[in-house]
Amino acid sequence: MANTWGYGAMTNHLGDMQNSKAIIIFGANPAANHPIAMQHILKSKEQNGAKIIVIDPRYTKTAAKSDIYCRIRTGTDIAFMYGMIRLIRDNKWFDKSFINDRVYGMEEIFKECEEYTPEHVEDITGCPKELLIQATTAFATAEPGCLIWNQGWTQHTVGSSNTRLGSILQLVLGNMGKPGGGTNILRGHDNVQGSTDMGCLADTLPGYYGLAEGSWKYFASQWKVDYDWLKGRFKSKKMMEEKGFSLSLWMNGVLDEANAKNNADTPLKALVCIGNGISTITQVQKVKEALDKLDLVVFIDPYVNDAAVITTRDNNLYLLPAASQVECSGTVVNTGRSAQWRSKVVEPLYEARPDEEILFDFAKRMGFYDEFTAGMGKGKDFTWPEDATDEIARTLKTIGMQGRTAARLKKHTENWHLFDTTSLKGRGAVTKEYYGLPWPCWDETHPGSPVLYNVNLPVSQGGMGFRTRFGTERNGVSLLAADGVAPVGSRIKGGYDEITSVNIEELSGIKLSDEEKKLVEGKNWKNDDSGILVRNALKAGLAPYGNARARTIVWGFRDEIPKHREPLHSFRHDLIKRYPAVADIENHYRTTVRYVTEQTAKNWVADYPINIVSGRVVEHMGTGTETRASKYLAELSGEMYGELHPELAAKLGIKDGEMMWVYGTGEGKIKIKCKYSYRVDENSVFLPQNFSGVWSGESLENRYPEGTSPHSFGENSTQVTSYGYDQQTSCPETKCSLVRIERA
Amino acid sequence: MSKPEYARMKFYCDEDLCIDCNGCVVACKEAHEVPVGVNRRKVVTINEGIVGKEISISMACMHCSDAPCQQVCPVDCFYIRVDGIVLHDKDKCIGCGYCLFACPFGAPQFPQDGAFGTKGKMDKCTMCAGGPEETNSPAEFDKYGQNRIAEGKVPMCASMCSTKALLVGDSTEVAAIKTYRSVAHGKGISTQSYGW
Repeated sequence: MANTWGYGAMTNHLGDMQNSKAIIIFGANPAANHPIAMQHILKSKEQNGAKIIVIDPRYTKTAAKSDIYCRIRTGTDIAFMYGMIRLIRDNKWFDKSFINDRVYGMEEIFKECEEYTPEHVEDITGCPKELLIQATTAFATAEPGCLIWNQGWTQHTVGSSNTRLGSILQLVLGNMGKPGGGTNILRGHDNVQGSTDMGCLADTLPGYYGLAEGSWKYFASQWKVDYDWLKGRFKSKKMMEEKGFSLSLWMNGVLDEANAKNNADTPLKALVCIGNGISTITQVQKVKEALDKLDLVVFIDPYVNDAAVITTRDNNLYLLPAASQVECSGTVVNTGRSAQWRSKVVEPLYEARPDEEILFDFAKRMGFYDEFTAGMGKGKDFTWPEDATDEIARTLKTIGMQGRTAARLKKHTENWHLFDTTSLKGRGAVTKEYYGLPWPCWDETHPGSPVLYNVNLPVSQGGMGFRTRFGTERNGVSLLAADGVAPVGSRIKGGYDEITSVNIEELSGIKLSDEEKKLVEGKNWKNDDSGILVRNALKAGLAPYGNARARTIVWGFRDEIPKHREPLHSFRHDLIKRYPAVADIENHYRTTVRYVTEQTAKNWVADYPINIVSGRVVEHMGTGTETRASKYLAELSGEMYGELHPELAAKLGIKDGEMMWVYGTGEGKIKIKCKYSYRVDENSVFLPQNFSGVWSGESLENRYPEGTSPHSFGENSTQVTSYGYDQQTSCPETKCSLVRIERA
Repeated sequence: MSKPEYARMKFYCDEDLCIDCNGCVVACKEAHEVPVGVNRRKVVTINEGIVGKEISISMACMHCSDAPCQQVCPVDCFYIRVDGIVLHDKDKCIGCGYCLFACPFGAPQFPQDGAFGTKGKMDKCTMCAGGPEETNSPAEFDKYGQNRIAEGKVPMCASMCSTKALLVGDSTEVAAIKTYRSVAHGKGISTQSYGW
């Protein structure tokens, strides 16, 4: 999404979905994973008359609340969407003026969709063409419609193409920048948006600043440390600016000697894991092998990380107990970009310590505590977490965090009864502000932006165009918004470049004094500490990041426009010739990753004839490390199972409640209970991904330190999910896998 | 002289909104520290996975006016409060299970451990109104759980319901909410616009 229109975040917010007239839920199951989001979705359905359209391989609890349900084969989302776009094109349901004024490259999409006739889409996806037509008609004729997706789209080899084409679908219909429209990606759990904003990624500094020299120099200045000192912490400048290993591929840095060349000629030696369920990535047996081989492994968690019992290493394995969320304070950011201040309820119990204390202790012992805390600018007398929150606000200008100071966020949380739950607008003490100051919140007078890219509002009230992020022209065609399209009250009545010291006077019409000129010299809106550029832009009604077109073409990507590609382990071997995977990638997040080689290695489906559908159960979160430790949740969902359609189970000779062996295309196998279910089709097995603690039939309960084992255990489904990683982001393919099932 | 009007407390669960998230079940268990195996509230799903036919609904004691449990109890341990909440006295209960046979909803629960296996003192939803012990005393909590009604709080299950499918309160209030929702059906959301 960031590559389509500037920012990679949910564009609207949960309450805003009540304004929709049609909602597509595609590759998401909010009834199980985001129950509170369902409140807004169902309110929209009941009171606003919104049609709920669910497109999913499995008839989920969410689908049970839908008006239209389309069952598709896993990994065929792009074909389905091109089918929709083709129907929209041919019926002229697209928003012509929106496309003309605010989008670049739509012709390419309208060309690409040509082959996806309803009949062809039915062949690829398995969904009857009548349902495709019905769903498209309902969505395209609703004004406005919102699109919801989730990990059902991102955890694919073509996940990045799924999310791009979803964004494009909303551009085709002109559903962007509108209340009740937008692309509403429901974040997987609490504070995921906050974590990505803070740079918990392999390819960027906090605030999505990237890893180039300029970014490091900017961060050195914000952290108040010397750039050369910072550089000296790395093996070389080249490695400093190189993407790191991603969560899904780090094991290769340990196991595969050939990969050392991508990692400064050395294998990985140690792993410190803070609050991450590293067993949820595909082919978890590789994670085990890597954990066994490392010199040092440290887990920092409130509960024993299940990966700590998966590994069979017997030394240099440390578990540091971390405080839970009720034992800490500070901000969390929700899926709609709003922040909330969380207060500490109790002091940390027993030996648990807050994350920051553990990290401070590490920094002290490694000799860089002063540098580590310098960014807060208070020396040794800082107040945690307020001063850190203010540092984040000062530093992360790219996403407009300048206005999100600790004092303002606390005031919002303390006054949350004064906010409207649908529009987020405040009253009384918080009037003219939106709850949680959804970013971008350009400065301390800005109210936050509840709906991204809405040009029907002044920038000072949360309005903006698309971001000028990909240049101002390409092959002689302007990438800026058309004349007449700009946020209300903008001095420039059309597109403009991002604000820099060079163009600020011309665009804002405000003359800078000599002193101001000196302060902003060589700066732009992303790195100007004086705040002058942003302030003057706002005065002139300009969004600091510019006003451009969204793009359908991403130059430099493996697929410049999104393309349907069959999964590496496809249920339809006959289609892989026409829709092959991309070529293998050398040095993909420091790893060589197989694509077409894996796909064509053999006719996988001949030996592994059953398709996996994976997902979560409502009772558990992630690996279930925390929730399986609750006796009541364990009572409700206490053991691992696989949902089989009774027809398929009958063919396999497995009765309801019997145990079965599931064999993956890798080396993994799991022994789980068969549950008869009509939720899945006759070719698939549904595997919940929330279990751990049983390894190919063997219980790992005895490996937990005394008194720490959870109440329920089960096989990790990731033991049998297949090899595969997103062709751009390296997100693991946990969705399209093939298995063989036998009665145990 | 007119009679004073009392509230008539009722549960209502809207199957169009219930998503089978079990939030009510866990909220109840956590609030009252109910033993594993005893379910004062359950979510029942029928036609699971059948396209267009799946329905979920949250069920507990329905606090009947003419409560069959009360009528069949041989030791007369049930009593119905003036607001209609059906409660029972665990000190009188002999665990015979007649109430379970009589109840149309399967609400009465029996402990699954101890000398009598599935027998023992009956336990059921109190609509968060405790029991005959002194209000909010440790003895009351121990036998019946929290007494939120005495504190003017909404019962735990409904207050935690993620989609507001489960309603509880004075029947006229519950009916008013249901009426409001019916009237508002398809009429559009009256939300404020963004900006000012």
